[in-house]
Amino acid sequence: MIIDHLDDPLPGSSLRPTPTGAAYTDREVFAREQADIFEKMWNCVLRADAISSPGEWKKVTVGREELIVVRTRKAGVKAYYNVCRHRGMRVCTGDEGKAKKLQCGYHAWTYALEGELVAAPNLTAMPDVDREEYGLKPVHVRQWLGYVWVCLAGGDSTAEPPDFDTEVLGEVRTRFGQVESIDNYGIENLKLGQTKTYDVAANWKLIIENFMECYHCATIHPELTEVIPEFADGLASQRKNGEVHGSSFGEDIQGFTVDGSAGVAALPAIAPNQDRKYYAITVKPQVFINTVPDHVIIHRMFPVSEQRTIVVCDWLFLPEVIEGVAEGRYDISKSVELFHRVNLQDFEACELTQPSMSSTAYARGGALVPSEHHIEEFHTWWQSTLALLESAEMHQVRVG
Amino acid sequence: MSLRVCSIDDLTPGEGLRIDAVSPPIAVFLTEDGEVYCLDDTCSHQDASLASGWVEDCRVECPLHESTFHLATGQVDQPPAKRSVRAHQAQVLDGEVYVELSTAEPVLPPGVRVP
Repeated sequence: MIIDHLDDPLPGSSLRPTPTGAAYTDREVFAREQADIFEKMWNCVLRADAISSPGEWKKVTVGREELIVVRTRKAGVKAYYNVCRHRGMRVCTGDEGKAKKLQCGYHAWTYALEGELVAAPNLTAMPDVDREEYGLKPVHVRQWLGYVWVCLAGGDSTAEPPDFDTEVLGEVRTRFGQVESIDNYGIENLKLGQTKTYDVAANWKLIIENFMECYHCATIHPELTEVIPEFADGLASQRKNGEVHGSSFGEDIQGFTVDGSAGVAALPAIAPNQDRKYYAITVKPQVFINTVPDHVIIHRMFPVSEQRTIVVCDWLFLPEVIEGVAEGRYDISKSVELFHRVNLQDFEACELTQPSMSSTAYARGGALVPSEHHIEEFHTWWQSTLALLESAEMHQVRVG
Repeated sequence: MSLRVCSIDDLTPGEGLRIDAVSPPIAVFLTEDGEVYCLDDTCSHQDASLASGWVEDCRVECPLHESTFHLATGQVDQPPAKRSVRAHQAQVLDGEVYVELSTAEPVLPPGVRVP
């Protein structure tokens, strides 16, 4: 393991360039990311069991758009732009609620949970008003891993959304591989043990780059490196060509906990080679999935500005573990504490990096060491998605 | 005399169906328990179709505001509507829904008139 990158000399320089500092500070770049990445791709927005009965709704923000995600009576979970079709006022106010209908507070245009316009003052005198056409504008919705995923693309019928099976499922399954299938973890049947929200003063790409590499692990993650000693070699679970490597627990480590003590009941269907290992993948553009034998940690990122990102982290366990916690039979606090510390350590590093992105000293960007070279795959994807290479005016944020 | 207004198959449990072939329009409701009821469709407070309302516990809540009306009697429970709506006798024969229209004066909101 430790000699992987030593016995395989790399052609050319050890150091590869990062994007320039402007990529992390430029408002125009961020606007393009919102339009061309977050408003085009599938975003994982909330746990499906967060809206468990008909009429329960929550507001989420994707790109520049505010959405209502609601559990309907007849059509499962749906999501709409939070924009009244009459005069545009926000239909739902507050962050969440439960209602029999979605009603604008301005002129009482009233929408069924399923989205169509069902009532408005004097609407019966306007029989030409099409109830569907003037219903809340929907966005595409899928459920996977127990989460609601939404895609804003294709809402105007001129563009289809990216195919979920190819873009999300296919990519994740391919990277985990057949034998080490992510399906083995049964994530869709797990329950929420803990959730924490981090308001991070850093660009979302710094957070992704941080998550993709482990060159920093031995320096800033003492607890994690105790549990997974091989992280001291600087290689992360995520590798080049998008491959995922199972990172082994240390010999005397009993579980993925803050002190290496035993965890809780293991997920029943994991493969033998998934035991005592940690896997991590990035589902672009805003999800991290971390798996260990007895729980799964999922991060969702919501970029707010070029220098601020909300990160929601969920710790998921077997339902009987969550019941056992309530009855005092199980304790998940040491499991949660480990990655909570990792999160705090990572986000502090990102926050101490962000201010330098506008420094003269970083104008031409920084460097990636060999164990970070796979981050270039993210940068290449980012550049091609924003079409930066073809765009002369974006010259200042080119790699190198 | 009874009027055939729809077939039972036209109705969805837990929902109302607006019938505007009669004037003023009526709303036929099929409850989750399989009972059929009929009220005037127009809320007595403001012009809104009760057929689009939320049906629960033998009442329908006007889709615009918070008032609910009893499906069997038309009785209103709380403001902003203050007046009950007319209830009509409904029965199902051979899968067809027949309604005996009330002879009382309809109770319509301001600005709504029977043509």
